[in-house]
Amino acid sequence: MARYGMVIDLKRCIGCNACTLACKQENGTPEGVHFARVVTREVGTYPATKRAFLPVLCNHCSDAPCAEACPTGATYIRTDGIVLVNKEMCIGCRACNLACPYMNRHFVEKGMLKHGYGTDGLTPYEAIKFMDFEEGTNIKCTLCAPRVDQGLEPACVVTCPTDARIFGDVEDPNGKLQRLVKDRKGWTLSPEYNTKPNVLYLDE
Amino acid sequence: MTTPRVGIANHRFAFGYYRQTFWNWLIGTAFFLGGLGAGLFVLALLTDHTAGMLAGYLIVVVGKNTAHMLFLGRPERFWRAAMRPDRSWIARGIWAMGFFAVSGLILLLPRILGPAWQLSGWVNSAATVVAVLSAVIIMFYDGFVMNSSPGVASWGTRLLPLLLLMYATLGGTTLSLTIRQLRGETIPVFLPNLEHGLLVVNFVLLAAYLARMNRSLPAARETLRQWLSGPYARAFFGLVLLVGLLATLLLSLVQNHVQATGLVVLIAACELTGDFTLVMLLLKSGLFPLQTAPAYSARGI
Repeated sequence: MARYGMVIDLKRCIGCNACTLACKQENGTPEGVHFARVVTREVGTYPATKRAFLPVLCNHCSDAPCAEACPTGATYIRTDGIVLVNKEMCIGCRACNLACPYMNRHFVEKGMLKHGYGTDGLTPYEAIKFMDFEEGTNIKCTLCAPRVDQGLEPACVVTCPTDARIFGDVEDPNGKLQRLVKDRKGWTLSPEYNTKPNVLYLDE
Repeated sequence: MTTPRVGIANHRFAFGYYRQTFWNWLIGTAFFLGGLGAGLFVLALLTDHTAGMLAGYLIVVVGKNTAHMLFLGRPERFWRAAMRPDRSWIARGIWAMGFFAVSGLILLLPRILGPAWQLSGWVNSAATVVAVLSAVIIMFYDGFVMNSSPGVASWGTRLLPLLLLMYATLGGTTLSLTIRQLRGETIPVFLPNLEHGLLVVNFVLLAAYLARMNRSLPAARETLRQWLSGPYARAFFGLVLLVGLLATLLLSLVQNHVQATGLVVLIAACELTGDFTLVMLLLKSGLFPLQTAPAYSARGI
């Protein structure tokens, strides 16, 4: 069985946030909720300064602390490694939010699904998309599981204009992901937490 | 060249430490009331004090549970949280509260409604053991719940359950003394001494916790900085240390010589203020780690 994951090439990322918007469009998340986002930072000392971009999303960890912390079993890991939430089982205790050191879990506050972006009501698009969510429960990046199940790549991957995101089976020894990680010494965020993330990064 | 200190990120697209905002004052209140009520119940049970037992029972069963239910996103599904006691401290806490509610009631009913409600000897003995054990678990399990949240670095020490256990015992002792004084009952000699001892022990544990944070991950050190010289310094030094420990100790030493009801109430107010402030500080000052990795930060990125 494949273990799905992603490699993000920071050398290619230009911080355009197309992934952020593609994710928004695909998942129709409520205002303020971003499954994919690009953390931006200014580095260096004047005049040698530049902006550094770090695209982040759920790492779909093999040892996911959010799944471990969930008291109801609502957060679970599929056999293909995708970490998902069963909204029917979620009680909204937010233990998973605090367990994730990458802060990639999102809580749907009360009233969040009653309005769209800057509007009192919902657009027809939001009305349909918001049906996937439930107030008082937790949501997270699904690695576009419905797309993956159809043999498609996640929305953030297909949208990236610089091909900075490479999706595939992280455990395939002959796959593109393993080759890239080996050749360019791929790394994961905050390895000290031993969560075995399946989103890896390639340095600049 | 010195590395500039990384600050608090004010939105999720910015680089920096993210504040823990998921657990709010309702969880703080639940943790505080749970420790206080369970501590009071245990002390009252051991000293055969019905009023204290009833107060402790109500604080836990009504106060703590109400705060929890108000906090939950889907309170109607709360029972699901009890499903994984083998893995989750939240589940263990729920089981402990269930056992406490039943065993506490078995012990309280004959004391309040009369001997007609007294169950057989062995049931009573079993209820006593279960009530004490479950109450003690309620006193410290919050610490383990926080411990199992690796996202917040300042909660990642096993000192936390011990600290919360000792604060719960202190709160229970103070409240027990207050109730007895207000009702004009005899105060066992050991209770004031226990309170003094616990104040000193808690000060030492608090110092050990700060030292542990100082040796921990950068996010925990940033939390420590916020306690000592940042936005939470006033609350920490003023309410937790000065009011919660020092003023409580001094006033209770005075109380040994001047028996005044008003003074006892003031002591309780001071101690409980410090106790509640500490719980809220632990929650509010929690920070998520930087989104970084050794390879990334080594390049100054």
